[in-house]
Amino acid sequence: MKELREHAKELLEKGEVSAVIGYSQVSEKRTKPIIVTDPQDTDQLVFNEYCLNNLAVYLTKARIKVSCRTKDKTLKLAVTAKPCDVHSVVALIQENQIHREDIHIISFNCHGVAKDFGFEFSGDNIASKCINCETHKPLYFDKIFGEEKETPKASDDAMERIQEIERMSHQERFEFFKNEFDKCIKCYACRAVCPLCYCQRCITDKTIPRWIESSSHMRGNFAWNIVRAFHLSGRCTGCGECERACPVDIPLSLLNRRMAIKAKKSFSYVSGRSLETPTLVGSFNEKDNDELFM
Amino acid sequence: MDEKIILKDDLLRICGDVIDKGHILLCPVMNEYSIVKDFSRIKLDASALPAGTSFKCYVFPKTEPVLYYKRSKSDVQLIDVNIDRKNIVILGAKPCDANSLNIMKHLFNWDYSDEFFNLREKNFIIIGLMCSHYDEYCFCTSVDSSPVSEKGSDIFLIPVDENKFAMRIITEKGSEFISPYAEYLKTGDENISKQITENVKLPKVAFDSNEVYEWLGENFESPKWEGIGNLCLSCAKCAFVCPVCHCFDIVDEDYSYTEGRRMKNWDGCQFGNFTMHASGHNPRDIQSKRYRQRVNHKFRYYVDKFGEILCTGCGRCSRGCPVSIDIKEIVSNCKD
Amino acid sequence: MDNQKWEPKIVAFVCNWCTYTGADLAGTSRMKYPANTKMIRVMCSGSVDPVFILKAFERGADGILVSGCHPNDCHYNAGNFHARRRWDFFHELLDFIGIEKGRLQFSWISASEGKKFADVVSKVTKDIKAMGPFTNYQKMNSEFTALFPEEANADSEIINQIKETVL
Repeated sequence: MKELREHAKELLEKGEVSAVIGYSQVSEKRTKPIIVTDPQDTDQLVFNEYCLNNLAVYLTKARIKVSCRTKDKTLKLAVTAKPCDVHSVVALIQENQIHREDIHIISFNCHGVAKDFGFEFSGDNIASKCINCETHKPLYFDKIFGEEKETPKASDDAMERIQEIERMSHQERFEFFKNEFDKCIKCYACRAVCPLCYCQRCITDKTIPRWIESSSHMRGNFAWNIVRAFHLSGRCTGCGECERACPVDIPLSLLNRRMAIKAKKSFSYVSGRSLETPTLVGSFNEKDNDELFM
Repeated sequence: MDEKIILKDDLLRICGDVIDKGHILLCPVMNEYSIVKDFSRIKLDASALPAGTSFKCYVFPKTEPVLYYKRSKSDVQLIDVNIDRKNIVILGAKPCDANSLNIMKHLFNWDYSDEFFNLREKNFIIIGLMCSHYDEYCFCTSVDSSPVSEKGSDIFLIPVDENKFAMRIITEKGSEFISPYAEYLKTGDENISKQITENVKLPKVAFDSNEVYEWLGENFESPKWEGIGNLCLSCAKCAFVCPVCHCFDIVDEDYSYTEGRRMKNWDGCQFGNFTMHASGHNPRDIQSKRYRQRVNHKFRYYVDKFGEILCTGCGRCSRGCPVSIDIKEIVSNCKD
Repeated sequence: MDNQKWEPKIVAFVCNWCTYTGADLAGTSRMKYPANTKMIRVMCSGSVDPVFILKAFERGADGILVSGCHPNDCHYNAGNFHARRRWDFFHELLDFIGIEKGRLQFSWISASEGKKFADVVSKVTKDIKAMGPFTNYQKMNSEFTALFPEEANADSEIINQIKETVL
């Protein structure tokens, strides 16, 4: 922790970065994002198992980007990111939303985070994305802290749920998702917290013509949730923020994860893993599977 | 005040009767107020935190048609919506939720009386339940309320022991509701329930709402807003889970070129599109302005207009905020 | 609904350069195919947004066909390659959510394949007929489960009174 604060302080004092986006402690089992611009405030920075937020979401925010621009040069933006959040940063770079040289990634050796604030970090309360996580060490970073620790063991309930749904008939699946989407209140928190939902104007905000009805009745909820999942398929890095943010607990990551499985199976592609490869849905291969077409 | 004692089993029997009569019974089950068909599921737990969402959606639904229309070459035919709704009984409403309808009522009867709201509100019986537990986000005591406040309830319950409740009948609506069940009620001792309510642990008063009111008037351009605005992700989840946020949007939905319906949907002031003009101009173009609007509306504008704070202190917005922005913390630290 | 009388409504999104011209050829060659398909001409199969599909389902379509140029024949070079990846995901997503794969079908039909067009349309129509009306999605048009499930009918009755979908 001390090294992290000293490093952030040094960056800010030297004027290398305009701000450090990091976590600060709110209570024992809760942290919140903080944007540090004053070197004095760096002693608020923390990193622990309760750093749940994916801070990559702030990297595309216009107001924060603007603050990096000074008279003679563009400063870097330092972001503290868990190894899985680095995937989101990489995906943003792949999609040309930010440039690698503008971002200073401070990362950590991670052994998992709690599933939500207020839960004791242990095998029972580990976030589902951490259970089968393969990147305990970040793939890209400028500075790394923390020691390597063992991740608590837990069973992958989300995966079991996906398999359970796949065993259902189409009618049962439809009913299952209908019941889930029925709860949706269209607050769009899932969109707001998603680092990859960076569109200046979302398709739901378009009114002429209105493709996705803003009313949160069945039809509007269905259209929104399908389109959200589709727009993230092959792109979602699985940070699980959408599901955590959802006030009515719709299992959004089931859809995201199912599409990630599809991407891996059909295209051997995992989102946000490499700066060199083009994005999956932004590119094509002439030898792609043609079975779908008559 | 009319004080009675009722056994828990008898209360559940009343619930059963309410369901049999065809009324809708709402109860906090599994983190939300849900329609209860089987009264054995009811748990009257005074120590539970406020449910994930309030019962606002039963008076002011997240989406509802306000009219249907049919267009022909020469004219437009309007078809009214039937809003004759059933009676709703809410059992075990938290004091912070119970008061929400009273606060919202002002707005829905201000320059136009909203019959959708009024009709449903009229058919509501709120049975409040004392609250004995709070967490770091609760701040009802700072907004002129308390865990034992009877404001808004028609009938108020205070758990005396595991199987017994002290019942205070507050309004006429409440006494009308309970009168068929007089046989279950026993005369209670006011002193016992008073003793219980006095011993309830109250959340610390975090701020003085008058001071906040003053501060907001003088600090419209405070640099603080910019700091909060940068952190806030504009998701408006706070408005959607709030028991008293009441902004809505009117949209037309077409079935076809000639037919459709006009819908009333929840909206939130934190959305960038909320104040977007057709011209393309947006008076609240950045998040800091929107957040400022939220706080001002709750603690200043509403007070100016209707003399009440647009907040019940339930803390849902802070508890659920994806980036842990705590409204209590913001208003209580406004001065430094 | 009586299955004997019921005829499926099928929407076909076809590309201007190949499939639409192929359909033209089928017409001028006086080939026979079922008349259940309503064609919507778009510039490229790559320009069909998945929300078009959802909108068609919302408006009462029982099945949808998306058709474009064969790979490497795209008028815009790569439109259909992009579409191919996209539809692969969308198809899988709909399947996971509970919409049978047969409801949404794809084909490559070139301008010279009038016969193939007639065959594909016949096959799609036959498939959809076998699956029956897509009541799952259409039911949502009148459903108001948001508030009072029992009273939703009151609203939906009014809807049914005034409702006649475009298709």
